[in-house]
This record gives sequence, C-alpha cells and structure tokens, in this order.
Amino acid sequence: MSGQVRLSQDEKTMGGKPLLRMSGIGKSFGSVRVLHGVDFELNAGEVHILAGENGAGKSTLIKVLAGVYRNWRGRVELDGRRVSFTEPQQARRAGIAVIYQEISLVGALPVVDNLFLGRERTKCAGLLDREAQREAARALLAGLELDIDIERPAASYPIPVQQMVEIAKALLLDARVIVMDEPTSTLTRPEAEKLFEMIGRLKGRGCGIIYISHKMDEIYRLADRITVLRDGALVGTRAAAELAGKEFVRWMVGREITSQFPPRRPESGPEILRVGNLTLRDKSNSRHKLVDNCSFKLRRGEILGVAGLQGSGNSELLHALFGSFGGRVSGEVRLEGKPFGVRSPAHAIASGMALLTNDRQATGCVTCMGVRANITLAALRKFSPGLWLDGAAERRAAEAGAEQLSLRAASMEMPVENLSGGNQQKVILAKWLETMPRVFLLDEPTRGVDVGVKQEIYSLMNRWTAGGMSIVLITSEMPELLAMSDRIIVMSSGRITARFGRGEATQEKILAAAMSRGGEAA
Amino acid sequence: MNADKTAVAVKDRIDRILRSPAARALASLAAVVLLGVIFNADGAFFKWGTHRDMLRQVSVFGILGCGMTVVIIAAGIDLSVGSLLGVSSVLFSMLTIHSGVSPWLAIPATLAVGAAFGAASGALSARWSIQPFIATLAMMVFARGVAKLISGGQKISTAVQQADGSYRYVDVPAVFEFINSSVLGGNITVVTLLFLLCVIVTWIVLDRLRPGRWIYAIGGNEEAARLSGVPVRSVKVFAYALSGLFCALAGICQAAQEQQGDPEAGMTYELTAIAIVVIGGTSLRGGTGGIWLTLLGTVIIGYLEKVLSINAVGEASRLMLTGAIIVLAVLFQKRGGS
Amino acid sequence: MSVLKSLMISVSIMLAAVLAGCSGAGENRDEGGEAAGAKWVIGMSQCNLGEPWRVQMNADIRRAAGEHPELKVVFKDAQNDNLRQRAHVEEYVSSGVDLLIISPKEAAPLTPPVHEAFRAGIPVIVLDRRVLGEDYTCFIGADNRKIGKAAGVWIAERLGGRGKVVELKGLMTSTPGQDRHTGFREGIADTGIEIIFEADMQWLEPEARGEMESALARFDRIDLVYAHNDPGAHGAWLAAKAAGREREMVFVGIDGLPQEGQAYVRQGILAASFEYPTGGREAIETALKILAGEQTPKEITLRSKVYTRENIDSDGQWLD
Repeated sequence: MSGQVRLSQDEKTMGGKPLLRMSGIGKSFGSVRVLHGVDFELNAGEVHILAGENGAGKSTLIKVLAGVYRNWRGRVELDGRRVSFTEPQQARRAGIAVIYQEISLVGALPVVDNLFLGRERTKCAGLLDREAQREAARALLAGLELDIDIERPAASYPIPVQQMVEIAKALLLDARVIVMDEPTSTLTRPEAEKLFEMIGRLKGRGCGIIYISHKMDEIYRLADRITVLRDGALVGTRAAAELAGKEFVRWMVGREITSQFPPRRPESGPEILRVGNLTLRDKSNSRHKLVDNCSFKLRRGEILGVAGLQGSGNSELLHALFGSFGGRVSGEVRLEGKPFGVRSPAHAIASGMALLTNDRQATGCVTCMGVRANITLAALRKFSPGLWLDGAAERRAAEAGAEQLSLRAASMEMPVENLSGGNQQKVILAKWLETMPRVFLLDEPTRGVDVGVKQEIYSLMNRWTAGGMSIVLITSEMPELLAMSDRIIVMSSGRITARFGRGEATQEKILAAAMSRGGEAA
Repeated sequence: MNADKTAVAVKDRIDRILRSPAARALASLAAVVLLGVIFNADGAFFKWGTHRDMLRQVSVFGILGCGMTVVIIAAGIDLSVGSLLGVSSVLFSMLTIHSGVSPWLAIPATLAVGAAFGAASGALSARWSIQPFIATLAMMVFARGVAKLISGGQKISTAVQQADGSYRYVDVPAVFEFINSSVLGGNITVVTLLFLLCVIVTWIVLDRLRPGRWIYAIGGNEEAARLSGVPVRSVKVFAYALSGLFCALAGICQAAQEQQGDPEAGMTYELTAIAIVVIGGTSLRGGTGGIWLTLLGTVIIGYLEKVLSINAVGEASRLMLTGAIIVLAVLFQKRGGS
Repeated sequence: MSVLKSLMISVSIMLAAVLAGCSGAGENRDEGGEAAGAKWVIGMSQCNLGEPWRVQMNADIRRAAGEHPELKVVFKDAQNDNLRQRAHVEEYVSSGVDLLIISPKEAAPLTPPVHEAFRAGIPVIVLDRRVLGEDYTCFIGADNRKIGKAAGVWIAERLGGRGKVVELKGLMTSTPGQDRHTGFREGIADTGIEIIFEADMQWLEPEARGEMESALARFDRIDLVYAHNDPGAHGAWLAAKAAGREREMVFVGIDGLPQEGQAYVRQGILAASFEYPTGGREAIETALKILAGEQTPKEITLRSKVYTRENIDSDGQWLD
C-alpha cells in the first residue's frame, strides 16, 4: 500500500475516484427501518469521522460495510468496482478491517497467534510456520513501537495494549479501509496520543480511516472530513475545517447545545462518608496492593472526582468500598458517622451505596433480561414483599424511572441488549436510583454515550446532589472531571498522590500527579 | 398515518411472536403430531389412551426437566438428576414397602433427602466454585453409589428377603397404587398430574417469586447480578436444591410405576432431561427460556417416542431417527434465536 | 487460579474415593469371618453387579460356599468394564488364589488373562459367558436358546396352538436377547401363534411398559405377552393393568429369580417364568471336585426350571 500515491486535497474534491463509495444504503430490522438511503465516501489517506448520537445508525452502516448483514439496499463500491459482502471474511479479504469497541482477541492465545488467527502462515503439508509468524509479528510491532512479548497470552496485557494488537492485526491484513469504533474509550491520554500518531502513519501509507467518536477534541484533531448521521439518515458531510463545533453539535442532536457542562453550584453539607486507610491486596500476590492506604472524606451533596490513569487503582477503590471484593479489604469506613464494615455488594446497597461500573455489558446490566427486570433488580426486595413479585409495582417503577431519565425503549419488556448504549446506561442509572442511594459511586458514567445523553447525565448528577446525594466520580475525560467535581483526588499505583479543591486543579496538575510515583505530596 | 403505524406495530408484534422460541417449539410439536397422524398405526394414534400413555411415560422426564430448566436458566447444568431419581426411588421403596412407613412421612422424607443432595451439588458449585458440570458429575457417581449401598444392589420390591435367604411377599403399598393409577375417568394418570403440578410450581418460582428473578439474573450475567446485590451463592444452592426435590418426586413416581425401587433406575435420564429443556428452546447459556418451553419440549419428545413405538419401529432406526429429530428441533430453535 | 486448581485436585480425589467406595461395596464382602479355618481361597470375578441376576449369582455362590468352611471366596465386581475385570483376574493370580471363577463380560478381551491364570496352574471355572480357546478347566452355563424354545413350546400349548402374542425383546444386540428370540420362534414354529407386535425394551421395565402401552393402543385383543426377562413381563402387566386389560391376556417371562419372576408367579402376575439358572451353586460344587483332584467335564450345561402357578409352591418343575 505504501506505493500508492497520496491524493492531494484538490484531487479528492475534484472527483478523483474515492477509495470507498457507499450510496443509498438502507437497512431494516423486521419492519423497523434503521438506515434511510445513506451516502458515504472515503478517500485514500483520509480520516473521515462518522458521528452521530447513539442509535443514529453508525454501527449499522459499518456492519453493512463489514459484511455482517446479508440483506440491505444500496450500492457499495471499492476502488470503483461494485462489491457485495455477505460474510465478514469476504470484507476482510477485500482489505476492510473493523476494530470494534469490544476487544475480539482470544485471551488465552499468545499475541502472535492472535495476530495470525484465521490466516496462519504455513509451510508445506499445512504445518504452521511459527518462525515466519514470529518474525513478521516482531517486525510489525516494532514498527508500531509496541514493545511486548508476543509469546504471552493476549489477556495478560492491559486493554490499551490489546487494542494496539487489534490494530496491528488489521495492518497485517494489508487493510486499506480501517474502521475504528471509539478506539480511545478505554485508553488514557498518553495511550490515545500513541494511537493518534499511528493513525497519522496509516494515513501516510494511503489507508482510508473511518473513525467513530464522541469526543470533540479528538474529532477535530484527526478529522479531514466529518459525516453526521441522525436517526438513520444522513445529515451532511463537510470538511472538518469548514464545520464549526457548534454547528457540528447541532447536526448531531438537531438542536443547539449551549454549553457542554451545566453550571454546578456546590453545596457543602455534613460529612457522610469517611474512608480511612483503605487497602486492597492483590488476590494472587498479597504483597502487591491494588489500593494502598487510601483515606478521604465525602460530604453530603458533594461530587468527589477520583482521577487516575489506567491501572492507578481508582476503579478498584470504588469496588473495594462497595464490597465487590468481599471482606478482602482492610481499613476503616464510617458511613453517616457509624462504622461500616465492608462485606458484600448486597450489604453496601442495603446501607445506601450504589456503584455504576465502567463496563455496561460485562458488569452493568443483565443484557438478556428486559428493561423492567433490570431496573428493579437491585431493589427487588422492595418489589417482592414476602417473596411474591408485584409485577404492577415493578412496571410502575420502571416507567417512572424511564420517564425521569427520558429513557427510550419500545417496551418495558424489551431485552436491554436491543437498546443503544446511552439507553442501556439510563437503565442502569434507573436501577440504582430505585435503591435510593445516598452515596453513588460512578465509574465512567458517560463512557460510550453520545453528547446529548452526556448532558442529561450531568444535569441529573447536579439534580441528585442538590437533593442530598453524594457522588464519587471516576472519568477519563478531563474536562468532565474538572467541570463536575467539587473536589478531586488523584491516584497513582493504588495511592492517593494529590488532592485539589474546586478551582485549584488544572489538567496539567492532575496529569502530573497521576503519573507521579510515590506517596502524597504534602 | 396513525392507522399505518398501528398496522406496522401489529405486524411487528406478529413477527416477534413467530420468532419466539415458544412458536418454534409449537411448530416442532405440530410436526411431530403430524407425523403421528400420518403414521397412525391403524388408528391407534387417534385413541385418547395413546396420548394418556404418552403423557404418563414422559412425565418422569418432564419432572426432571422442571428442575433442569431452573438450573440451566441459572447457567448451570445438573448431571445428577438420574442418580438422584435412583436414590429416591430406592429410599421411598425401602421406607414404604419394607419398613411400612406411612406415605405422609415417607414422601416428605424422600423429598427432603432429594433436596439435600441437590443442595450439596449446589454448594459444591457455588461455595467452592467447582464447575457445575464437574460438581454434578461427582454427585451423579456418588448418588448412584448411595443407591446401590442402601439397597444392597438389589431391587427393593414386594419380595422381601429374610435373614435366612428365603423370601416373604408383601402387598404393594396403597400409595404406589394411587400414584400409578389414572383419574378423571381413567383419562389422565396421577404421575402426569404431578408433572403438571411441578410445571406450575416451577412457573411460580421462576416468574412470580423473587428467587426466580434472581435465577434469570445470575444466568444472564452473574457478575452484574452480584454487584446488584443478588445473593448469588444462596440462589444457586436453592436452584440445585429445587432440582433435587423434583428428582425425588420423579423417583417416587418411578418407584410407583415400577412397583419397586431399582438402584439402577434413571440411568441416562439426565441426557433426556437436558434434551427436552433444549428442544423447548431454553438456551444452555442461561438467562433465557422458561418452564412452558420445557413443557413443550417434554411433549415433543413424548410424541416422538410414542409415534416410533406404536409403529413398532426397530431399535436401530429409532435411535437414529431420535438423534436426527433432536438435532432438527434444536437447529430450528437456534435459527429463531439469532 | 491456584485455589481452583487445588479444588479440582480435591474433586478428583473425591471422585476416586467415590469410585473406590462403589466397588468396595460390591467386593471383598465375605472376607474375614471364616478365613481362619479356610483351606482354599477362591477368587470370583463378576463382570457387573448392576443386574439383579448377577447379584443373585454372587448370592448363590456365597450361600453354597457358606456350607463349606474350608472355602473362602473373594468377590470382585468389574462394573461392566473389560479392562477392570482383566485387572481383577491378574490380581487374583498374583495373590495366588487356589481357584478362579469368572463370569466374563466379553469373550475376546478376557481370554488372555484367563489363559494366563490357567497356564499359571490355577484352575478356572468360566460361568455363563464363554471365553475363547480351550485354556480353562470347566465352563458352566445355561442355554438361552433352549430356554426360549421351551417357552415357545409351553406358550403354544397354553394357547392351544393359536393366538395373538406380543414379544418384548431384550437388547437385540446382546446374545441372550438374540437366543431367547430365536429359540422362541423355533418353539412356536408350525403353530397358529401369531406375533402381532414386537419391540426392543432393552431389558428395562419402564421401556417395556411404554412399548406395551403402544401394543395395547393398537390391538384390541392380545392373548399373551412373552417378555425376554421378568421385569419386562412385569412392566407389560402394569401397562395392561392400567388399561384395565390385565385379565384379557397372560404374561410369560424369563429368569425366574426368587424376588422377581418367582414372586410375580406367586402373586398371580405372570403365568410362567422360565428360570435362567445362575450356576452359582454348581460352580462351588465343581470347584470342590477340582480342588479335591477329581475329574470334571469340560462343559456343564445347566438345567433350568419353569415356575407356574401350579408348581410354584413345590419349587418349580425341571425342563428337559
């Protein structure tokens, strides 16, 4: 691919043959139309942002391209030739690589075997040519400046590394069209920087990149062109330089959004939670502390931000407090002045705590169950006095919760897996609200949800805290952390390395503390 | 416009119903019944007695299937059901035939023992995180051993061996005769009614009681359920204990129908129980499905065996046909699921 | 992970213990007791104690040996596993038993160990099922085909030479099932007996009941049910009784165990049960002769009895 001539901006707009052209793409599920004749083009050496709210049809469009669906209308041309993929394998062979949000590596297999999975290099008689594979893999990863042991199982590496391996896998395919679906949602800032560098290199090699993202800063940093979908239809395509941020947001939500963050009026109530020397040891290596002597206070109506890079232990801190690790936790916790023994999630919930985890699908909800059953799950005793489930009360509560959070679902019985990411998040929020929490632990509450829903969640957080709830917030989006937190603590290697009051923190200070090693600065 | 929307909604709804596992299972059932109508063995298929007998024959499997449904929805598996049936049938026969214990005592005692065995497998898998396959496999072997131990390897029948080796003959206990009888003018057997009772109990547990919701949640996503405060261990133990309880009832029915307690009874029944759950459309992945599907699965297997039996199809072809039809039914279900 | 691993290991140990426990329940039961005065030790290798008939065989051996204090019998149950039975024979040889009784699971896999035991100078009595070749001392067994034929003749006589009969067959892939079928057909040849329904009930009572229900649904008149074993006949009777038709027909079975066939005849359920003798008593009698140095025939075919309502109180009647 490196031999391909890079097209100049002029040639692209002058109607030089695009690398990929999709025209009039329509797709229905049963009688529900989810795509209405969408047009999309991608040039070689271009990063084309595909944007839109959750449920706008971005993923469906990508799946049409990737050969996941058999039945759809419209026309797809690759290099000017009409193609029609009915199997993902065909699309892959034609040079279309899709890197989905979820990691699709086989965790137990070594990295090298993952790279070559499904297209192993063989010697005569079909024997694996392991040496050739290893050499090619090493060369490839060195090119990506990814210094890892390719013989170790993929699952032994952190998620960002796995994501890089996924990208390497796509490169190995000589892919010309690379689709990245929110690749930075699990990455920290420095890791994302590495990814952006690589995207630049891919552009240089003549690859076309379709990039799906909800993050403004990275969109404007990467984009050559931007295409926005809304409710399954095309809103427009424009060069990034010509599409102002405000207009872009209006394209997405169909209305003007004045400011990204609603104003926050912090109220300082009495202390509700006091954590003293909380420590969590690694299960397999008891000398390694995942959470190391963390102490902090939380006041009524307060939002406490907990910053930290991947592996800093901030997620573990919330889980340890909530009882996810059972009694494997040491330290002293007082809730509303009374000693609180960390035991189990059930105990924490009964004591007025709730935890929104950072992975909706894996730990947040039961995706095969209906909306109603998910919303009432954590407070089920309330809906089943004497074991007997009160279906009517459940439905009332679910509908009330749905209305409060403007949750959009065809019915309360619909399986959660059929909802968009933002609506799934609302189901989980509604579930926790049913338990009437006084301390709400939020781990990445806006991950993978669109701008509109993000704003709704921010407003809800303000409303809840005004009503006396206290929140501990983890987020990897710096502006969100700075705007929403009343105070911020920063963690690194399981320890708290800095504390900031409102207005004291800046991105630079937080990052410095997050990357520092050793104890808390005095 | 509005009417248009309503039409779409109705169409959507019909579409969804047609794609549901229940509709698929009903279609499979219709196919098997149609097979019976075509190959009706000189009209034998059209007699009510044939259907009553089919229901009787399949009831024990159905009762095992009720417990299996609960366990499978909780994303587990119970391989010990056949052995627990054996233990219970021996225990119940020893209590009633040999010791002359009143059924009012013998039945609750047998059910309690069954539930205890089930709870033990549940505890193995929940408390000590042994995979359900392994835990219940161990229980399958262990319980079969218990059955042989307490029976001394002999069938517990109305011929009671004396200390000197000679035999004393006793009457079949009335409770055996009752469970083995037909009621409502001889049109339905007591075991079938017991099976239906189990279906209703299972339905109440799964759909109307809190532990049932928890079972679905655990099967769908154990970690999410745990973090939502579901007492995962207790619920699992409960699921397996319920399965054990149903096994004990199945054992009592088996003993009554054979008029003896056979330590070998129930060999390979676990496979049939799993088959009826899966044919009904309950996924082995857990979290979905339901007891009505298992009821359909039970009747599908029942009719399949009955149609082959009244036509006196040879054993070899019967095994092959049964295997092929199970695969077809499950494939049919899978297409519906995707 | 390590916790899981140690759990797996403990489960394996538990499984092993359970398995050992199962076989422990079957074997070595009669050790101790009379050992002090015992002059000869006999090893008895049973292929499977899952079947009542084989449990009876062991019981017969035990009872017969109990009458001779100079004998001590050690029992092992191979749980229907050829290789386990082979190991049992080898264990007997190395422990130096004075005589070996084996009821083998299958001929070919058990011929080599029997062969070796015989070569090592241990007399071998083969019970019920055969081994290949000539390297054993004595074979004792009954003839299923003869018994099947006797049943056929008896049935033809009972029905006056004509009638509608249901045949519930044992596992047709097993030799006893085939022989009881072939013999029966020979017995009813050239009579007016008509087989209107036949099905494989795999020796299992619940299966037999289900098959009989089908037969009852199809035929309004059935004169007699011939089942290849007594539980099968009993299952058929239960089906007929549930349909209220048990008086319309008579039931005949094979095996004649005291607690099964004989009991059913006594209770009026079966019209006849044909004994398939275990040969346990004969094996001990032969063993005593061999150990005393007497000559024994190479092959002993056991005679069997028929139990009917008329003769059940006089302990049956010998067949020719």
